Amino acid sequence: MMSGTAFLNISAIFALGVLTISFLLVVVRVVKGPSLPDRILALDMLVAVAIGFIAVLGVRSGFTLYVDVAIALGLVGFLATVAFARFVLSGGIDAKKEEAEEDRP
Amino acid sequence: MIDGAADYLAGGLIIVGALFALVASVGLLRLPDLYTRMHAASKAGTVGSCLMLIALAAHIGEPATALRALAGVVFFLLTAPISAHLLAKAAYSAGYRMWEGAVSDDLAETAAVAKKNGPSGTEG
Amino acid sequence: MIPFRNELILALVWVAVSGSYSIPNLVFGFAVGWVVLFLVRDQIQATRAVIRPVALLLLIALFIKELFLSAFRVAKLVLSPRMDIKPGIFAYPLKVDRDFEITLLANLITLTPGTLSVDVSDDRRTLFIHGMDCSDLDQARRDIAQGFERRILEAFR
Repeated sequence: MMSGTAFLNISAIFALGVLTISFLLVVVRVVKGPSLPDRILALDMLVAVAIGFIAVLGVRSGFTLYVDVAIALGLVGFLATVAFARFVLSGGIDAKKEEAEEDRP
Repeated sequence: MIDGAADYLAGGLIIVGALFALVASVGLLRLPDLYTRMHAASKAGTVGSCLMLIALAAHIGEPATALRALAGVVFFLLTAPISAHLLAKAAYSAGYRMWEGAVSDDLAETAAVAKKNGPSGTEG
Repeated sequence: MIPFRNELILALVWVAVSGSYSIPNLVFGFAVGWVVLFLVRDQIQATRAVIRPVALLLLIALFIKELFLSAFRVAKLVLSPRMDIKPGIFAYPLKVDRDFEITLLANLITLTPGTLSVDVSDDRRTLFIHGMDCSDLDQARRDIAQGFERRILEAFR
C-alpha cells in the first residue's frame, strides 16, 4: 500500500498527462472549426482545461494563490464567451455565407 | 491518518476530473454539430474542472482558502450554463443549422413566424 | 422576510471569496453589495419569493445527482464506438412564470442529462430545449416537469 503523498503525486502526473491530451484535442477542434461558434465553444472548453491544469499545479506545489488564478481565469473565460456570443448574435459573421464556404471543397 | 485520507481523496478527484475533461474534448471532436458538442463541453467539461478545484480545496485543507476554492466551483456552475445557453441562442438565431440527423425542430416554426412579422413586431 | 437579504448574501459571498473572516470585512462586503444592488436597482425585478430551506436543499441534492449522471451519460455516449443519437430542439411549456425561476430552470436544464436550453419565447411561456435524444419527447417533457420544475415550485412558492 503506497502512502497518500505518493498516490497524490502519481495521480497528479497522470492528470497532467490526460489534461495535455485533452488540450491538444480541443486545439484540433479550434483549428478545424468549421464555423465561428464551434471555435468559440472550443475556446471555452480550452479555458476549462486550463483551469484543470491550474488546479492540478496548485495541488502539486501547494501554493494557495493558484485558487485565485483559477477563479480569475474562469471569470475572463466566461466574459470572453459572452462577448463572442454577443458578436455572433449581432450578426458579426453571415452564417449562410460561412457555411457555403465550408461546403466548397 | 487524516492527512493521508485527504491526499487519497484529492488524488482520486484529480484523476476523475481529468478523465471527464478528456471525455469532453473527445466529445468536442466526435460529435456531429455545434449543439451536440455543446452538451459535451458544458456538462463533462464543467464537472471535470469543478472536480479538480474540489480536489485543490481538499488538498489545501485550510478553511479560508478551501472555502474560496468552493466559491470558485459554485461560480463555474453558475456561469457554464449561461455561456452555453447564450452561445446556443446566438448560433441558432445567426442561422447556423443543426446536423442532418436532427429529428425535431420546434424552434424553426416560431423563428419562421417571427421572421415573417419581424419588422412590425420589433417596432411595437 | 429578512431586510437587506440580497445585500447580506453578497456580503457573505464577499467574505468567502476574499478569505478574511472579520467583522470589518463583512461590513465592507455589505457596503459594496449595497452599492452594486443600488446601481442595478432598475434592472432587477423585485421578487417577493419565499425560500423554503428544506425544499431548496432537496433541489440542490437533485441537481448534484443529475449533474453527475449527465456527465456519465455524455461520457458513455462519447466513448461508445457508434454514436447513436437523435438530436433535436423541442418546445417545453413553462409552468413557472417569474424571471428568476425561468432562469434557474433553464440553467438546471442545461446541466442535466441530454438537455440544453436554447431559447425562451418572447411571451415567456415556452422554453426551447435542445435534446440529445429526441425519440420520446413526451417522456423528456414529463421528466422536466416532474423533476426540476416541481422542485423549484416547491422551493420558492
